[in-house]
Amino acid sequence: MRTRARVFATIAATTAAIILVGAQTQTKVPRTAWGAPDLQGLWNTNTLVPLERNQQYGTRAQMTEEEHARALADLQQRNQRPGRDSREIAGKSGVGTEKDVARAYNEFWFGDKPTKLSYRTSMIIDPPNGRLPAYTPEATKRIADKREFLAALLQGTSGGRPGPISPRRKDSSPDYNLDRINRADGPEDRGGPERCLGDNLPVTMGTGTFGGVMQVVQSPDSVSVYYDVGQGQGFAWVIPITNRPHLPKNIQLYRGDAIGHWEGDTLVVDVTNFSDETNFRGSRQNLHLIQRFRRLDANTLQVEFTAEDPTTWMRPWTAVQELERADDKTTVVLEGGCHEGNYGLLGMLLNTRAAEKAFAEGKGPDPATQDNATGGGGDN
Amino acid sequence: MRIRFGVSATAIISAALVMSLAVIVGRVSAQRASVSAPVPASSSAPIRRQANGKPDFSGIWQANNSANWDVLTHEAMPARVMQTGVHQLSPVPAAPVLALGAVGGVPPGVGVVEGDVIPYKPEALQKKKDNFEHWLDRDPEIKCYQPGVPRAMYMPYPFQILQGTNKIMMVFEYANAQRTIHLDQVEPYPNDSWMGHSVGHWEGDTLVVDVTSQIDKTWFDRAGDFHSDALHVVERYRMMTPDAIWYEATIEDPNVFTRPWKMAMPLYRHLEPNAQLMDYRCIEMVEELLYGHLRKQPLVRTWEGQTMTVRVERKVPPPDVLYDR
Repeated sequence: MRTRARVFATIAATTAAIILVGAQTQTKVPRTAWGAPDLQGLWNTNTLVPLERNQQYGTRAQMTEEEHARALADLQQRNQRPGRDSREIAGKSGVGTEKDVARAYNEFWFGDKPTKLSYRTSMIIDPPNGRLPAYTPEATKRIADKREFLAALLQGTSGGRPGPISPRRKDSSPDYNLDRINRADGPEDRGGPERCLGDNLPVTMGTGTFGGVMQVVQSPDSVSVYYDVGQGQGFAWVIPITNRPHLPKNIQLYRGDAIGHWEGDTLVVDVTNFSDETNFRGSRQNLHLIQRFRRLDANTLQVEFTAEDPTTWMRPWTAVQELERADDKTTVVLEGGCHEGNYGLLGMLLNTRAAEKAFAEGKGPDPATQDNATGGGGDN
Repeated sequence: MRIRFGVSATAIISAALVMSLAVIVGRVSAQRASVSAPVPASSSAPIRRQANGKPDFSGIWQANNSANWDVLTHEAMPARVMQTGVHQLSPVPAAPVLALGAVGGVPPGVGVVEGDVIPYKPEALQKKKDNFEHWLDRDPEIKCYQPGVPRAMYMPYPFQILQGTNKIMMVFEYANAQRTIHLDQVEPYPNDSWMGHSVGHWEGDTLVVDVTSQIDKTWFDRAGDFHSDALHVVERYRMMTPDAIWYEATIEDPNVFTRPWKMAMPLYRHLEPNAQLMDYRCIEMVEELLYGHLRKQPLVRTWEGQTMTVRVERKVPPPDVLYDR
């Protein structure tokens, strides 16, 4: 989450002038005093470019002028909307529903409406169709098993399929659970964000539920990135620039073991030793990321990553994002302080215990018949 | 101190009950009217410098003292939490830490505070003693809260300094805590925070950092030393040798202390060729401690060793305590 402090117009004007002068004189990549490409600064990780390409674009990675103009007009029209859920839900107006109220709350945290649009049709540039490669049979089964588990816990509630309360409510999750499941027997039943696990990985795609910003600080032998990803779940990630080998295979680091080296003006970061407690689109401990940080000009940092995991995808895939520089003076990077004030998890468990007690005393419904997973925010 | 267990003796202890027992704190930091040692001189060996000539503090560092147990001079203790023994001078470790034996003890240490005194106001000193007695319930470190400044600098975990062009980022292994020292002009922080808002400048070869906007919930050590949200810390970083930083922190908090006071210590560079930060993801580690009493089915109820059984009875505290995590 990011708040923008408004500064006096004079300061803004001065800053703009400095940036303008910089842009005119820096035709080459900005460099640090020790000669490395300078990756430092605050970079907006927000983007409207979808991860996967709409099939109408085929293998075209860029929109035509005409397509771009149309998409921009669409965006401007969407920006006029009131930030409420006016969609119909089951044939009825969504206005005033629980979801609508949750969305109106969320809207506040999304910040400024975007007004610019990239020509990119998708972040994925390989495979050439801009789509995620197929899952392996192993991953397909893994994902289906988890979906079935989630569905079983919702069975017989307003948000689930019809049927009796499933006996699977007593089962443990088939994976290390990070999803929002319809059960609160203990903290492990709650999603990663609710537990403040900060299970975002250090890739720009997928960071920032409510938009985000990354702060890069660089020394000759390391680069550190602080990802402010929203809702107090920011995290720091250090990339040592070294030729040492990776940690032993059995060692899992939550955000992987990063080793960086320069290839020309590109910082190439090889990341292994991921954890089975993070989930990157179905990939867990076997994920291998190769990230490339490239400074394109005074105001643009390009971040590209290739993800491979032969236990999850049939082939590696690559995505790219151009990040725009955020004004350091008006963008406040917020500390991640989720766990320290996590009254949400406390309340979720406490309320469920209270509901169970009330049910046992004949004063309320069986909590197992209630949907506490699909309501509210998110993309539901 | 001798503690004997018969082979068949079983100590059945309720951890919850122990919390409410009077805890014998032992002798708290014998206060010495010592004259503070002179600031160590720098070695003549050349230090690493940035292109602009300023000392480069980049690297992986760690304090090598027991200040995180107690910033004042302190004797060794069998455990931080004690309970009455058979003799007044022989308290015994309390149930929650008893099984840890010599591993759960408090290592002794000479203090890092100038004059070896923290100038508490009378009522604040009382609160510090109260904190000490309720250490298990109150120390934010136990709950995996971010440690704040200066405590982050002398916790028993490495941290990395990355000195950039106009920002210095410090990343701490403990809880993945992070702080950024702004050497350039930025907006003030909009709220209190766990790691504070740090603005730095150079005085010759010394980096001087002004730390404000700290929340009142962090402590200085495991001895209950605390502050309010009026805390103002001024840190000074100076290279003593190529591999040691002389670190000083001046603490000011008119709500709690009668005058500013200062702590100082060296921070040592990790010289292992493969030194790197790893994970100390304590948020997940403390879930059972913080939320175990709210499980549908309690998990940790007893622990049985060959010579000891410890029973744990979790209780849901009253709302004011429950929500004051």
